[in-house]
Amino acid sequence: MKSKRYVKDKLTQLLISLVSLVGLIILVAVFFYVFSNGSSLLSWNLITGDYNSNVFNGYYSTEITTNDFAAPSSLSDEEYFSTRWGISFMDDEDTEGHHIIMITYVDIDSPLANIPDKNDETATISISSGQKLMTVRFSDNTMLLPSNGAEKANQLFDTKTSIADIMVSTSGKGIRGSLITTLYLVIMTLVIALPIGVFTAIYLHEFAPKKNKFVNVLRRLIEMLTGVPSIIFGLLGAAVFIPIVSSLTGADTGNLISGSLTLAVIILPVIISSTEETLKTIPDEYRQASLALGANRNQTTFKIILKSAIPGILSAVLLSVGRIIGESAALIYAIGTSIKDEIIITERSTSLAVHIWSVMSGEVPNFELACAISIIILIVVLVLNLSVKFIVRKIAY
Amino acid sequence: MGLTVTTKKIKQRNKIVDKITQIALLMPTILAASFVLLIIIFISERGVAPFLESQYGDLSVDLIRFLLGNEWYISPNVYGVFFIIINTLYVVFLSAVIAIPISILTALFIAKMTSKTISNFFQIVIELLAAIPSIVFGVFGLGVITNVVKKIAALFQMQTAGGISTLTTIFVLAIMIMPTITLLSITAIKAVRKDLEQNSLALGATKMQTLFKITLVDAKSGIFAGIILGVGRSLGEATAVSMVAGNAGTGPNFNLFGTTRTLTSTMLLGIKETTGLDYDIRFSVGIILVVLIIVINLLLNFAKKKIGRFS
Repeated sequence: MKSKRYVKDKLTQLLISLVSLVGLIILVAVFFYVFSNGSSLLSWNLITGDYNSNVFNGYYSTEITTNDFAAPSSLSDEEYFSTRWGISFMDDEDTEGHHIIMITYVDIDSPLANIPDKNDETATISISSGQKLMTVRFSDNTMLLPSNGAEKANQLFDTKTSIADIMVSTSGKGIRGSLITTLYLVIMTLVIALPIGVFTAIYLHEFAPKKNKFVNVLRRLIEMLTGVPSIIFGLLGAAVFIPIVSSLTGADTGNLISGSLTLAVIILPVIISSTEETLKTIPDEYRQASLALGANRNQTTFKIILKSAIPGILSAVLLSVGRIIGESAALIYAIGTSIKDEIIITERSTSLAVHIWSVMSGEVPNFELACAISIIILIVVLVLNLSVKFIVRKIAY
Repeated sequence: MGLTVTTKKIKQRNKIVDKITQIALLMPTILAASFVLLIIIFISERGVAPFLESQYGDLSVDLIRFLLGNEWYISPNVYGVFFIIINTLYVVFLSAVIAIPISILTALFIAKMTSKTISNFFQIVIELLAAIPSIVFGVFGLGVITNVVKKIAALFQMQTAGGISTLTTIFVLAIMIMPTITLLSITAIKAVRKDLEQNSLALGATKMQTLFKITLVDAKSGIFAGIILGVGRSLGEATAVSMVAGNAGTGPNFNLFGTTRTLTSTMLLGIKETTGLDYDIRFSVGIILVVLIIVINLLLNFAKKKIGRFS
């Protein structure tokens, strides 16, 4: 009888332990999926590159007949090196699956490293690795197209003596614009929300009359903000903040300011409640001691209490930054989804999270890019959360 | 004599300074509290507009057909939201059914059944899960869970639209609310009085009997609060759901392998212009969403009180 009960007990324990592995499995699966799909794309070029590709159009009329350039030792088997022009090509596919010819290496002394611009006689353009070869017309009117492949391209470059017209494009699909937008949003949102949040918490905890009906109503209204889903905040941004900002700055669409205002409302409850929790932990003796020394409540609050509350405010800031970086639904309404390279605060642009939304909601979802950006977001958010845990522990002991 | 006068003066000045500070600090507080009202006023204003002839003339939407209709968008002005509400409730309910037992058992494990180190480790795992943004779960859902659902569908010899289905949405939501429910359950379970459990053990009950019949029963109010929070979160969850729901045009759809459409996915997908009927109608859906969240919250809180009474 007893042993049966014992077995049943142990089985239940085993079952619970197994079930509690689900969370761990999901976390590992998310990380594994995101890292295995995104890490190959994650590079300095991705982070610093433009999203829109630029097209360069140039020519080189001086005749070259010697094949003097030596192939670099780093050349792989798939690359074709032209000894005449000091440039190497490789076959590749773009994100839409079209065949392209990538330029993988350009010798520093190569004539192509600095050629006149076709559209602007005074300017020069430089062909460099990482660019796509679009079309080339040699002086004898032989055409080279991406569909010809890298091997054919190399043959032509090694035999032709001058170039009447060459078009290359930068690869694009970089996330620099979204990265900068995210930083802007973080800074602007905190600048707006932090003073409002901290002052509100100070008022509610230090100055508000106790058991006052009006104060209670204010408190309830602020608490209600926590239960509002982020997409509803997006509607607030679209219906209130975009028109306000438009009338003040002349912006005609969603913009970074309206986005920051929306995000500020989203993080306000976090900042208020976290600051107030910290204010509660500060012993009353501090206040009494300060008041007894002749300081007024104003001095007591801003010189004594606020200083002790800094760790709590800091952890609220870190949590808020995580929330801002991860927020997508609200920003889709409050700013929009068009990815930009030039960031102007009165115009549209995407944060990293909305950048993912943009590349995933197109006709052909770009999983690689989405995962690469997800890696950045995940790392930042996790570091922030772990540091908050660390700070909270510091406060506790 | 002079001293008292100065003290009086200082006291008076301090009083004035404090009063000014108090009033100055009241301003941001009122501002912070006003946002909820701004949300209610302005979203109502925009959301009601599509039904007004004064705003849209002949194009104005028929309110009855909007509330009871089962087709989302027939050109130019027929929008039906009834099946979307049903789909939303269906998806949220099933995701809660999956997430609640997993969350409670995980919370039991973390709070009561393991060493401090392992418990801390699992607590961090759950907290990190809670911190992962919705968009990342969306990518994960579209990249991984769709494939899992495709395999499940193949087992039943069913077809899915590339894995995008009601079941995928349910799984994604369950994953997203699991950490919320777990974390609140842990707090509730840890708050159970030690002597209750010790009494049970002393009376000869096994550890598991004690956990299920004493600890969980005593913690149920707190656990229920976690469930309310989780359900609220899944009702309002937008980005990840929109990526895997498929946005079906008609319904309601109870087939797990068919596509679905939730209130949030309706609001988020297919925004083309930021003016006009097709944009404003999203605010109407927003009103429905807010009302739904409030109603379900009230119902669950009512249920929580009932459960709390019979312990």
